Amino acid sequence: MTSIIETKDLIRDFKKTRAVDGLTLSIALGELFGLVGPDGAGKTTTLRLLAGLLDVSEGDASVLGYDLKEKAESIKPHVGYMAQQFSLYGELSVMENLQFFAELFDVTPKDMAERTERLLTFAGLTEFKKRRAVNLSGGMQKKLALACTLIHEPEILLLDEPTTGVDPISRREFWNILTELHLQGTTIIVSTPYMDEADRCSRVGLMYAGKLVECDSPKNIREKLEGDVIEIQPEDWQKALKTVAGLSGVREAQTYGESIHLLVDSGKRRLPEIERVLKKEKLAYRSIRIAPARMEEAFISLIRKLEA
Amino acid sequence: MLRLHSAQVSLRHIWAVTRKEFNHIVRDRSTLILVLFTPTLVLLLMAYALTVDLKNIPIAVLDFDCSQTSQAFIQQITAGQDLDIYAYATSMEEINTMLMRGQIKAAVIIAPGFASDLQALKGIPLQVIIDGTEPESGNFAVEHILQRAEEFIDDALTKQLRAQGISIDSLQALNLRVQTWYNPDLKPRNALIPGLISMVLGFPALSVALTLAHEREHGTLEQLLATPIGRAELLLGKIIPYIIVGLINVIIIPFLSISWFHISLNGSFLLFFGLSAIFMFAVLSMGMVVGVFMRTQAAALALSFLVIFFPGFFLTGIFFPLASMPEEARLEAMGLPGTHYAIITRGIFLPGVGMDVLWPYAVMMLGLGVVFTALAALFFRKKLG
Ligand SMILES: Nc1ncnc2c1ncn2[C@@H]1O[C@H](COP(=O)(O)OP(=O)(O)OP(=O)(O)O)[C@@H](O)[C@H]1O
Ligand SMILES: [Mg+2]
Repeated sequence: MTSIIETKDLIRDFKKTRAVDGLTLSIALGELFGLVGPDGAGKTTTLRLLAGLLDVSEGDASVLGYDLKEKAESIKPHVGYMAQQFSLYGELSVMENLQFFAELFDVTPKDMAERTERLLTFAGLTEFKKRRAVNLSGGMQKKLALACTLIHEPEILLLDEPTTGVDPISRREFWNILTELHLQGTTIIVSTPYMDEADRCSRVGLMYAGKLVECDSPKNIREKLEGDVIEIQPEDWQKALKTVAGLSGVREAQTYGESIHLLVDSGKRRLPEIERVLKKEKLAYRSIRIAPARMEEAFISLIRKLEA
Repeated sequence: MLRLHSAQVSLRHIWAVTRKEFNHIVRDRSTLILVLFTPTLVLLLMAYALTVDLKNIPIAVLDFDCSQTSQAFIQQITAGQDLDIYAYATSMEEINTMLMRGQIKAAVIIAPGFASDLQALKGIPLQVIIDGTEPESGNFAVEHILQRAEEFIDDALTKQLRAQGISIDSLQALNLRVQTWYNPDLKPRNALIPGLISMVLGFPALSVALTLAHEREHGTLEQLLATPIGRAELLLGKIIPYIIVGLINVIIIPFLSISWFHISLNGSFLLFFGLSAIFMFAVLSMGMVVGVFMRTQAAALALSFLVIFFPGFFLTGIFFPLASMPEEARLEAMGLPGTHYAIITRGIFLPGVGMDVLWPYAVMMLGLGVVFTALAALFFRKKLG
C-alpha cells in the first residue's frame, strides 16, 4: 500500500504548550482514519498541520509526497479541510459560499454548476440555497461546510469533528456520505468524540497529550481491552454502582444511562460473584450479562491507564 | 521578470474575494454605514469643532472717536452672539491688562476721525488687537469684525453715494477697493477644509487594517487559508472593495464641502479624483500592512491609530506646517501618503494648481503604495497561530 500521508516525530509547540509531541503516523491511500482522544489531546493541531495551516515546529511531515515545511501550498488543491468550528461566511448564502470555494479551488464553471447541484441535494440544502449561512441550523451549517470541502473533489479529506452538535439522523447521513466517499477511494482522516463513529473507521488513532498512544483497527483495539465487560441493568443504578464498584476483580465501573458496565479481569469468574452480592444487598436488576467490549470501554480504559 | 513566491495571479480568485468582501460590507449594515459615512461625519464634526463653535468671545472696545457713527459701528459688530463686549476701555493700558489677564480675546480700537474719514470716503482707521496665545478665538474675532465692518461701511457708503447721485457702477468699483483693503479672504475654513478632506478620505484604511483580523477572529480565515489562493490575490481582492468605497467618498466629500461649507474647488475635479485613486491605493496598502501584522481587531485598530491617524494628524501638515518640524519628523512625514495627499488637496482646492506642480507628490504616493503592497505581500503568511 502506498502511503499518502507520512509524519515522523512531528512536533508542534505553542507558546506554553506542546500540542503535538512526536507524532509518527503513516496513512495509506484510501484509508478512513479516525482520530480520537480527550479534549486538548492535539487532534485539531494535527489536522491543521496536515492541512498546511500551521508551521511544523520539529520533525517531518509530508502529504502526497510534498514536504509540509517547504511545499505546504502545493497540497492545498488536493486536500479538503473542514474546521472544527463553523468557519464559512455567515453573510453569504449557501449557494454563494459554495461558489466562493469553487472559484478559489479553480473548479470550472461547468463542473461548478453540476457539482453544486449534486452537493446541495446530498446535503439536503437545495431548498435553503438562498438562505444566509448564519441563519442555518447547526447541523445544516456542518453539512454546508462538508459540501464546501467537497466542491473540488479532493483526494484527501481532513475533517475535524464534523458531526459534533449534529442530530443523530443527520449524523448517520453524514457517515453514509463518508462511507460512500471512502468506497470511491478518497482518503479520509476524521477526528471524532463519538466512539461509534470511530468503530466505522478502517483504523483508529488514539491521541493523548499530543502523542499517538494507540493506532490500530477498531477490532484490534477492542480486543486489546484485557478482561471482559459485564453489563448490569439495575433498578437503582446509583446504589448498585456504589456496591459493585469496589468488588474484587472490578477494574472499571462506567455508567451508560441506566445501565452499568463493569470492566473485570474475568467475566466467567466474576459474574456469579456479583450476582450474589447484588442479591445479598437486595438490589433488584432487570438483567446482567457478559457483553462484548465496545470502543468506548476500550477508550476509557486506555485513557484511565494513561492518567494513572 | 520579478516573480513573487506564488507564481501566477488568478483574476478569478481576486474577483471571488472582492465579491465576497463587497457582500460583507453591503450586507452588514453597521459596516456599510461605517465605511460610507464616517468620513463625512468626521469632516462635519471637525470643521465645526475647529471653526464655528466659537461664540460669545469677550472683547473690549476703545472708542477715541466718540461719534454717533462710531457708536453705531460698535453696535453693528457686537450684534448677534459671536462677540460680547466685556468692557469699554478708556486707555491702551487698560486693554493691555485685560488681554494679559485673559479677560478678553480681542480689542477693537476706533481712532479719532472715524466718522469724518468715512464721510470723506477715505480708508477707515480701525485697529484690532488679538490674543496671540489663543489664535483661534482671536482670528475668529478678527474675521467677524472685518465682515461686520465691511457691511457697515457698505451701508454707510451706499446711503452717502445715493445722496450724492453716484451711479451703481462706480459703487461697485468702490466696494471692490474696500474689500481689498480689508482682506476678506482671510477665512480659516478655506485653508482648513481641504486639509481635513485629505485626512478623512484615509479612513477606509482602518477597515482594511481590520479585515484580516476580523476573519481570524470569526474563524473564517481557517477555511480560507486551506484553499490554494495566492497571498497577493487575497490581499488585492480585499483591498479593491475599499478602494471603490473610498472613491465614492472622494465624490461625496468635495460635494459636501462645496455645497455646505461654500469651499470653492479652483482646480480640476478629474485631477483630484485621479490623484485620490492613487492615494487610496497607497493608504489602503498601508492599512493592509497593519492588518498583516496584527492578530486581533483591537490590536489592528490601536496600531492603525498609532501609525496612520496620529502621524496623519501631526505630520501631514494639516494642522502644523511641515516646515516648522524637526528633520526626523519631516522625513517620517514623507513616508505617509497623507502628507503628499494633503498638499495635493490644498493645491487643487485653493490655488487650483495642476499636474505640472503636483506630479512629484503623485509619484511619491504611487511609490509608497507599491512599497506597502510589497511589504504586506512579503510578510503575510498563509498560516494560523
Ligand atoms: N493557537 C493556539 N495557541 C496556543 N495553544 C494552542 C493553540 N491551539 C491549540 N493549543 C493548545 O494545544 C493543545 C491541543 O489543542 P487541540 O485543539 O489540538 O486539541 P483537540 O484534541 O483538538 O481538543 P478538542 O477535542 O477540545 O477539540 C491544547 O492544550 C490547546 O490549548
Ligand atoms: Mg479540536
